[in-house]
Amino acid sequence: MIAHAPILAIVLPLFAAFLMPLVGLLSRRYNVPKACDWFAIATMIGTLLIVADMAPSVWNGQILVYKLGGWSPPWGINLAIDGLSIQMALMIAGLGTLVIIYSAAYMQRETRRDLFYALTLLAITGMMGIVLTGDIFNFYVFLEIMSVSSYALIAFKRDSNAIEAGIKYLFIGSLGTSLILLSITMLYSFVGSLNIADLGAKLAAYRDGALPVPTILIASLALFVTGVMIKVAVVPFHTWLADAFTAAPTAISALLAGPGAVVGIYWVARLPYLPFGLPVGIILVSLGLLSMIVGVLMALTQHDFKRMLAYHVISQKGYMVLGIGLGTLGSVLGAQGGLFHLLNHSTYKCLLFMCAGAVLFRTGSQKFDELGGLGKNMPMTALMFLIGALAISGIPPLNGFVSKYAIYLGGVEAGLPIVTAIAVLVSALTFASFFKAFSSVFLGQRPERLRETQEAPNMMLFPMLVMAVVCIVIGLLPALGFNIVGPAQAAAENSAGYIGHVIGGI
Amino acid sequence: MVELIWDPIVATAAILLGSLVAYGLLRIGHKISKPRPTSEKVKTYACGEELKPEETHPDSEQFFSPIRRVFKPFYRYIQPAHTGALNTYLLWVVVGFVIILVIILLTVR
Repeated sequence: MIAHAPILAIVLPLFAAFLMPLVGLLSRRYNVPKACDWFAIATMIGTLLIVADMAPSVWNGQILVYKLGGWSPPWGINLAIDGLSIQMALMIAGLGTLVIIYSAAYMQRETRRDLFYALTLLAITGMMGIVLTGDIFNFYVFLEIMSVSSYALIAFKRDSNAIEAGIKYLFIGSLGTSLILLSITMLYSFVGSLNIADLGAKLAAYRDGALPVPTILIASLALFVTGVMIKVAVVPFHTWLADAFTAAPTAISALLAGPGAVVGIYWVARLPYLPFGLPVGIILVSLGLLSMIVGVLMALTQHDFKRMLAYHVISQKGYMVLGIGLGTLGSVLGAQGGLFHLLNHSTYKCLLFMCAGAVLFRTGSQKFDELGGLGKNMPMTALMFLIGALAISGIPPLNGFVSKYAIYLGGVEAGLPIVTAIAVLVSALTFASFFKAFSSVFLGQRPERLRETQEAPNMMLFPMLVMAVVCIVIGLLPALGFNIVGPAQAAAENSAGYIGHVIGGI
Repeated sequence: MVELIWDPIVATAAILLGSLVAYGLLRIGHKISKPRPTSEKVKTYACGEELKPEETHPDSEQFFSPIRRVFKPFYRYIQPAHTGALNTYLLWVVVGFVIILVIILLTVR
């Protein structure tokens, strides 16, 4: 394994972000317009290789504990990488790389690309830090790095819609991070530690029921859950998402829908076991169901391509939260299904946003009523959108079906067949919604002004093609996905192992 | 465990086979009864008006009006509640927090 790989996975995109303005300056001075693009792509490929290098050790059952400055936990800050963290880190690095490659073409008309990449790499740094850190205050710091970069990226276009969406996300997102900070403050005042493993060890007596749970812990948990749910954007904390994803540059919508979704769901998966370990299953199942239903019903009536996709993000996150919630109620399949759905959703939602971006890039419109018949002009984009649409609708044999099927079975396994029935109904409504999207954009009569529309550039098609292939391959060979989410789910539930490894200081 | 859940290769083969059979039936049907569309038959009927392609586009908001009728309470109360007003949305967060706090209190104690 590469020496210092855990910290390098965070530091590499961070330093590249700080260097980006300099690269931009040099590229303008020496007239190398693509320098920023290639520098960002190289950074992400490097990050992906570093993360991939850690994966075999973790999948062999090891938990990597990296002590910053050589200080042992709980005194020093540490990074702790288990099966759950590595799944998330791989997704952030992999999808982040594809989004950056896509951006190289999508943002080619933009003159402030150095600023764009600097913010994007900072957001990726924050995401990576969140899933790798073993310290809860560091989690907050990385969350703020990711959030502040995201606020700026959403308002990047600087038109009225983008600024309004950015400000909305700033207010609601800041409320979420403030609640998390308040929760951490309460935890620290009660336990006297910020190390996640140490907190887990010291709160074990309350988890096992040996001691009554004090009010401060209940308040801290409620604040933490609310803060995380704002970031996940489940109903009723979802209100920032639709505006933000609609107004942001499409590459950023893809980044927040794919790798961005990972961050929130990582904590949803961690929360029932560490650091609190108190029962939150009913909350997760309820919020998951509510999000699925509200998200899909809102999506059905949208006439903006990206806004419809944004509401589907809310609905699909509902599936993940529901699956993880079912896991806490005793369904292993539900928990695996939830994490598997995260893997699948991040892939096809990135793909779908990229397809919407390709249409916007070529036609200048993202309104269904202004589009139509583009299947003739953009056959590859249409085909890949169709693959993504079928995958998100849970149509076999694509990847979305496998994870949704696991969640359906999880509902039955947890003794809640009504949940399964609702999940199937939501899937049918999702299909209906994407049927409308596909027919409105790619089928029917083509407006006169779109007659000369060209296919998306190859640089945009390449990441879309990779994700479409992943959707098919994981659908045909679901064992590949289960081999990743199985260790992740086992690691999330194995709080004793995590505590032992971190405090033991391997 | 995966094999117990779903065998994708068999299912995919079955889907492809089913699609092939359906396509075959369609072809046979076309051979037996040949479609003879006249130019008048394939025209969009709009009371004799000439329509541009843009005007034949279905209204995306009303595309699934039957579904809107089925979920009438949602579209009457929940959808209009998404006003876009930031103070309303912040209120939702506070209400959500209170509900979560109450559920945790009831579950833990």
